[in-house]
Amino acid sequence: MEKVYLCKATDLEANQVKKIENNTFGDIAVYNLGGQFYATADLCTHATASLAEGDIEDDMIVCPVHWGMFHIPSGEAQGFPCETDLQTYPVEVVGDEVFAVIEVDENIIAKA
Amino acid sequence: MSNLIKTIDTTDCLEGIESVCDIEGGRISGEIFYDQKIYEQELEKVFARCWLFVGHESQIKKTGDYITTTMGEDEVIVIRQKSGGVKVLLNACPHRGNKVCFSESGSTRGFICNYHGWSFNVEGNLIGQHESGIYEDSNFDKSKWGLKEVAKVDSYKGLIFATFDPDSPTLEEYLGPMTWYLDSLFDNQEGGTEFVGGCIRSTYECNWKIAAENFVGDILHAGWTHDSAARAMLGGSVAKVSDFDESYSVNWNGHGYEFALDTVGNVAVLGDSQLNKYLHTIKPSVAERLGEFRSNMIGSVSSCTIFPNFSFLAGQNTVRIWQPRGPNKIELFTWVVVNKSAPQDIKDRWRKGAMMTFSPTGVFEMDDGENWEYCTKTAKGKVTAKQDLFIGLGMDTYLEDTDLPANVYKGQLNEANSRAFYQRWQDLLQAKSWAEVPNRNKGKAEVEK
Repeated sequence: MEKVYLCKATDLEANQVKKIENNTFGDIAVYNLGGQFYATADLCTHATASLAEGDIEDDMIVCPVHWGMFHIPSGEAQGFPCETDLQTYPVEVVGDEVFAVIEVDENIIAKA
Repeated sequence: MSNLIKTIDTTDCLEGIESVCDIEGGRISGEIFYDQKIYEQELEKVFARCWLFVGHESQIKKTGDYITTTMGEDEVIVIRQKSGGVKVLLNACPHRGNKVCFSESGSTRGFICNYHGWSFNVEGNLIGQHESGIYEDSNFDKSKWGLKEVAKVDSYKGLIFATFDPDSPTLEEYLGPMTWYLDSLFDNQEGGTEFVGGCIRSTYECNWKIAAENFVGDILHAGWTHDSAARAMLGGSVAKVSDFDESYSVNWNGHGYEFALDTVGNVAVLGDSQLNKYLHTIKPSVAERLGEFRSNMIGSVSSCTIFPNFSFLAGQNTVRIWQPRGPNKIELFTWVVVNKSAPQDIKDRWRKGAMMTFSPTGVFEMDDGENWEYCTKTAKGKVTAKQDLFIGLGMDTYLEDTDLPANVYKGQLNEANSRAFYQRWQDLLQAKSWAEVPNRNKGKAEVEK
């Protein structure tokens, strides 16, 4: 298990998403949904696209390329052409710092 | 990498255009309304070259708001950018050419092609594809394959125009002093104008020039063609134009505006006294803004075409494009224009009034349709097509001594504007580039701002 620093809580406004580059696990998208922080893989599971460039609609992230959707808290693929769920990471907020808690898994590293 | 459309190499000019269009002799030939070869030349030398009306600023207010239309037969998307500007993009995917947007208007994040999932953002940039990995393996350069943009986009008082030709004059040069007259409808109140309701679309089996020329300078037909419609709407015949003390035909670069100074002759045919009243109410402020002369034009007996195919009627407030669809067919796109500052009730009345008179089932529009279709269809006969058609009214009516801008002719019962329209058409067909298009203007080019 590894704790990856994402950003300062105060740097991410409500209902915003930000891409955090990470060469080990793949880029991570961090979300602030009304004060609650979430983290998922940033790469869309359908085609090459950074989800952080997409729009948040309620608790969904809409991929900017083909407008498929994922449920941010669970990572569930919700709309064509997205069919494979998105990797999600538990989030820990320590003071003003937001971390993703990543299980070191060979599969995730290979995917990145 | 620019996504601008490459300049089109113009083909050679058709020979014999002077024989089908003899402006000094006051005659044209029916052939120009039915000939496929002439039509192909028009698409290239008129529609791929001139500034064409593509929409009104009020139709696309926010980033991603768009309308679809055509420039000639080329389908385009007119879309508001994040920067506040407007882009006009070809509505065709640069992979296999499929249409990417099928709706008339809307608000979007971008466009995704139905065929292979190429996805474009509001700027028209290609941002991804289905199976993106195989493109990456082929070293595909996304930046080169966005939706293609037209050469230039510009607007005048809310009216957005675009041209495919990078060598075209500026919009300001293209419109010239006609803007002085356009202001009488499009800038007569603070805040300018807006379109209300959607786009009303219909088809006619007529040549686009017949319709455009009718609006450029043919009020002559109204008293005869529209007599019954006028009786239905007004309870009497249309105003006898020859009784007006003062009226004009003005033109520039093939654009033309014919008008009387009776303030409400056009609006009256909508049969709604509240609209006449509105124009009378705003008239003093229009006079303050634009001067007495133009305050008399706001709803007067008049019509206008901006070359080649954008027309409107002040008063009825119908704005339209005659979209060419082959030599003997047009698709008509119309909208209703109103002052932004007008009360909602007045805007609604205009929308209803225009629908009653100048929509596909409008009482005036139907009168015109029948005539225009047969003006076109008779030219199907090879012998009839060669018949001379008279276009010589008002040959000696040019006014040298006037303060009015543009080329000014005395009287609106006059074929001067029609001749200037066909002259411009002929000049463009005979020119391989803008540099070869002669300047035939002789009136005052400057306008007071």
